[in-house]
This record gives sequence, structure tokens and C-alpha cells, in this order.
Amino acid sequence: MKLKSLPLLFPFPLMATLGVSGLVEAADEQTRISATVDAYYKSDNTALGGREDGLGLGHTELSVQHQIADLFSARLTAIAEVNDVENNGDIEEAYLETLSLPAGLSVRGGRFLADLGYLNGQHSHADNFVERPLVYRGFLGNHYFDDGLGVRAVLPTNIYWQLSAAAFTGDHLGNFESGPSVGAWTLATKVGDDIDESQSWQAGLSYLRNRMDLHAGHEEEHEEEEDHEHEEEHAGHSHGAAFSGEHMYIADAVWKWSPSGNNKSQQLSVSAEYFKVTDISPEAGAGDHDGWYTAAVYRFAPEWSVGVRYGELNARQEHEEGVFENADLRETTLMAAWNPTHTQTVRLQYTHQDAEGIEGEDNAVTLQYLISFGAHDAHSF
Amino acid sequence: MRTVSKLLGLVCVWLVAQPANALNIFACEPEWAALARALAPQADIYSATHVYQDPHYIEARPSLIARLRRADIAFCSGAALEEGWLPALQQRASNPAVREGAPGMFYAADVVSTIEKHQEALVGRGHVHAEGNPHLHLDPDRVQTIARHFSERLMQLDPEQAAQYRLTFQVWQKHWKQKRLQWKQQALALSGKSVVVQHSTFSYLLRWLKIKPVADLEPAPGVSPTLSHLDTLTQQLKAEKPMAIMHNWYQSDNSAHWLAKRVSVPVLALPSTVSEKDGISTLDQLFDHLIAELRSAQL
Repeated sequence: MKLKSLPLLFPFPLMATLGVSGLVEAADEQTRISATVDAYYKSDNTALGGREDGLGLGHTELSVQHQIADLFSARLTAIAEVNDVENNGDIEEAYLETLSLPAGLSVRGGRFLADLGYLNGQHSHADNFVERPLVYRGFLGNHYFDDGLGVRAVLPTNIYWQLSAAAFTGDHLGNFESGPSVGAWTLATKVGDDIDESQSWQAGLSYLRNRMDLHAGHEEEHEEEEDHEHEEEHAGHSHGAAFSGEHMYIADAVWKWSPSGNNKSQQLSVSAEYFKVTDISPEAGAGDHDGWYTAAVYRFAPEWSVGVRYGELNARQEHEEGVFENADLRETTLMAAWNPTHTQTVRLQYTHQDAEGIEGEDNAVTLQYLISFGAHDAHSF
Repeated sequence: MRTVSKLLGLVCVWLVAQPANALNIFACEPEWAALARALAPQADIYSATHVYQDPHYIEARPSLIARLRRADIAFCSGAALEEGWLPALQQRASNPAVREGAPGMFYAADVVSTIEKHQEALVGRGHVHAEGNPHLHLDPDRVQTIARHFSERLMQLDPEQAAQYRLTFQVWQKHWKQKRLQWKQQALALSGKSVVVQHSTFSYLLRWLKIKPVADLEPAPGVSPTLSHLDTLTQQLKAEKPMAIMHNWYQSDNSAHWLAKRVSVPVLALPSTVSEKDGISTLDQLFDHLIAELRSAQL
């Protein structure tokens, strides 16, 4: 399998389709164009990624979806992030997905968000907090998308049961110097159902195998961390995971409650995820990274919601050749959000961090304004 | 790729194990489940939503994905009513029978015209679309057309039982036409009356009954009532008293009562669709109930 050629191959039919039919027949039911602008002000920089302080644009995206005959759907998502330190543009998604395979199967090829944990497959603008949990920032570089090929099956069972597998180039896992052509692969399963009219749940297990040359990457990272100016830059848009290992295991669960199932007016949602990253170094006694978070968000009126999240990240950092020390970070986040209309969100968030062995911990207040245009993006669970 | 082949094998076993019995129908809203039940009584029918839920805002819950995964036909309103959740279900259910454009994906709005078409504004317009008002099931004439088309779709997808579907539809239609005459008769007393609404849920019904909606509690469609807007309405309605203030069961009744107290008119809490546990399990029971409630307010 020559995965390296995929990113080159896939965008072309996609661009052609979007260029010809997408823009000309923008009103066509089969083409959906949406844009989300994410403007924010953050009072201070915090440790481990997240957003740069000051005024900026967060995850601002333009997304086009198109159905090609009955066979494929195509999606292209371009993102931009702008802040005092850097301006970033990237293609986050550019994939084709089959629509007509039997037995609940679908195959995706191109660049897409890996099916990992509860949040990774979801678009950031739907998040309940301004920044992703620590475990996502530390172990997945906010969210992991890459060029690859994935297969997914939904089984015809009474309760929802999905299995998926994907192979990626691994180029977006971090700043690794080299790796095999299949630099990463993933496996995931999700199950879920309703408990009654008011309650539903979903739980998942996922696994990421990182086959990149981890050791070279770590040394590079280590040098960067000694250089404080460099670290400041690193705090902005994440270019990959800060902490890596050969194997990553994720367990996630979410439970939602809304009276009579009318989630527009009231909803409580509680989610939790646990990450474990092993084989971080060939050195004996290196140990493992792990981390978890739990979040509760309560929408008490159609326009208002409040939320709290607590997360920990316990990493092992190599301070000198073969000597590993704990690097721990704890983060508590409080947020309140107001949706004046269903296309707009104003969110105020307070973040408190405690750290041991990780620099740059701070407290921050963030004000975020999100507005979306065009087709509604579907509200996923 | 050994995992994939194992997985394929597993799925095949499942498929073979599944009995090829009744048609599996996924209805986006209870009204279409009720109509499907009338036209295909043997089918296995599931409604994704119920009367206490706002069908614009449904989450693509795991249970719904599992249901759509097993469906032979999906019966939905269309006209963008489900656009916030059905595409996500279709994408995640990976069921080619109900993908966009497949014969198994039936939208009511594809076979009848809609009213209240607006130019789509980019921001602020709330849930109103260029496609028009999607609450089509509250017009007895449109329901009849939708039923005919849906019955034809059933015959196309399940040709072995085509004769049965045709007969069932003919019986249903005869009954419906009688009911329609009866409702027209009952509506005479309501003709020309005015009401205050909350959202455009009942627009088709009011048109059919010749009742005028003179005001909407929502300042803009899909936007919750605001105090300043209610204040303006109070002034307007004191001059010209409506018959009632209507709201539906999934909406909060606070605004309706607030306004009712100030202009002293009755509040009508009405179901926007069928609800078996409230004793309204068919569409004709729904129209019976709605017309009786409106007539009681008029007295």
C-alpha cells in the first residue's frame, strides 16, 4: 500500500467536483457549504497548547460537502488560525467516502479526522469548551487528522455498534524525522443506545499505533523545551502531539439527559475519557504517559449553558539521557455560553492550571464568539 | 487487513441470520409513522421523534443510527426540517437503502408544494428556509397526496405485496375523504377567526381552516419570544382581540400565558403531531382533536 501518494491523488477529483458543480450550483441540495468564524480574546498563555493569548481567530473553517452521484460523498474543510505569533492555514479534511457499500460498510480515503476517542472525530466548532481537554492537546496535538485510508462498519444490531480501522501516513502525529509509509494505524469501536426517553449513552474504545521514529522526535522536542522563546511559539497552534509513545489506548463514555428527550430546551451531558500512552522510549524505566478528563455541561434554557471540566495529564519527560521525570498538569475549566441565535455562540471561560515539571502553567480568561454561515452542520451526539 | 476480512465475515453471518420479514420503516416524525402504519400495517415502524420534541433540534443519537442502519425506507418531512440531524444519521448509518436520492429515502416535501418560502438569509433568520414550511402533515389535502405517493413507493420497494398496499391505500383514502368533509363542516364556525401563534407549526392547518394568524410570539422564526416583542404584541392585540393564543406541546407556555393575562384571551396548548400515549394515535384523530380544541376556544 503506497499511502504517501494518497494526499496528492485525492484532492484532485475533489477539487474538480467542487469547482465545477459546488460553486456553480451552490443551491443544489447535494452541495452543502458552511463556514464558521471563531474569534476570541485570551488573557494569558497557558501550558500545553491551547490558544495563544491576545486577540485572534481560533478554529475558523470553510467546509464544502458534495454527493457525487450515488457513489461517494466528498468533503473539503479548510481551516485558518490567526494570532499574535503566527498565521496558519491548513486543509483539515479532503476525503471521499463511499455511500453504496453493502452491510453497513463505508470506506474513506484522503485526509480526515481519525476515529479516536469521543472528541477527535468531531469538528472543533461544536465543542463545549474553548480548548480541547489536556489529553487531546498533549497526546494528539489538539486533534489528529492525517492522510490515509479507513474502513468503518455499523453492525445491524439493536443497539448501535460501530467498528472502524484506518491506516495513516503518520505525518501529522508530530515532528518526527522519519517513519514507514504506514506511519500510524487505528482501531476503534463504539456502542450506544437510549436508556429511556430522556437518557442516552455512548461508550468507546480506541487504539492508535504510532510507528514513526519516536526517539529522533523526542530529542528534537527536548531541545525545543530548553529554549524558552521556542516554547512560547509552541504554545499556540499545535503541530502535533507533545508526548508520544508507540501505543495509545483510549476509553471514552458519554451520558446525556434531557427531560422527555427535548434537548433543545434542557440538556445535561457528562463525558469522560481516559488515555494511556505506552512504550514512550526504548530506555528502561521510562514509564508511561496517561491522563483523563471529565466534563459536565448543562443547558438550562435554549440559549444558555454552563459547564465544568477537570482534567489531568501525567507525562514522563527525559531530562537527561535515560533519566525520566514526572511532568504533571492539572486543569480546571469553567464556562458559560449564550446562543443568541442557533448560528451564534458567545462563550466565557476561565481556566486554572497547576503543574509540576511542566512550564508555563497559568490561569486565563477567554471570551469566544462563534458564528456559522450556510448549511447547518449536523449536530452529532 | 485481516481485521477487515474477519469483520466482513462477522457482518455476513449477521445478515444471513436476519429474517427477511416485514418492511422496516424509519419515520423521522410521529405523523409519518402514523401514516405508514395506516398504509403498511404489517411493517415494522419506528418514529425517531415524539410530540414533546422539537423536530428541528434532534441529536444524531446512537439509537437513531442503529435504527436507520436497519431501515428499508425512511419517511421524513424534508424541506430542511431534519437538516440538522438526518444527514448525520445517514452518513453514520452507512445504509445505501436510505441515502440521499435512493428510492428508500422518501420526503413528503418532494411530492407536494410548500408555503411560506423565504429567501434564505445568512444570519439571524432562525429556522426558516427557502424550502418553505415543512410542517406539511397539518394540511388534510396535502396528507392525501403524500399518502398516495408513499403507497406507490411501498409498491415499488416491496412489489410482492403491491396489491395489498393498493387496497389498503384505497380503503384509507375513502375514509380520509369522509373525514375531510366532516372537518370542513366543523371548520365553518372557525372561518375568519384570528389567533396568535408561536412558530409556524400550525400554518397549514390554519390556512385550511381559514383562520388568520395575526401575530407570532417569536420575534423571528425559530427565535424564542423576547419581552420587548411581547410588549409590542400586547399593544397590537388589545386593539384587535384574537380568538386564542396557540402554542404546541414541546414549547414552553410561559410567553403564551404572559401575553394571555394581559390581553385576556385563552391559551391553547395543542399537540403538533400524533401521540399514542395521549390517545391520539392516527392522523385523523389528530385533526379531530385540533379542530375540537379550536372550536372550544371559539365558544
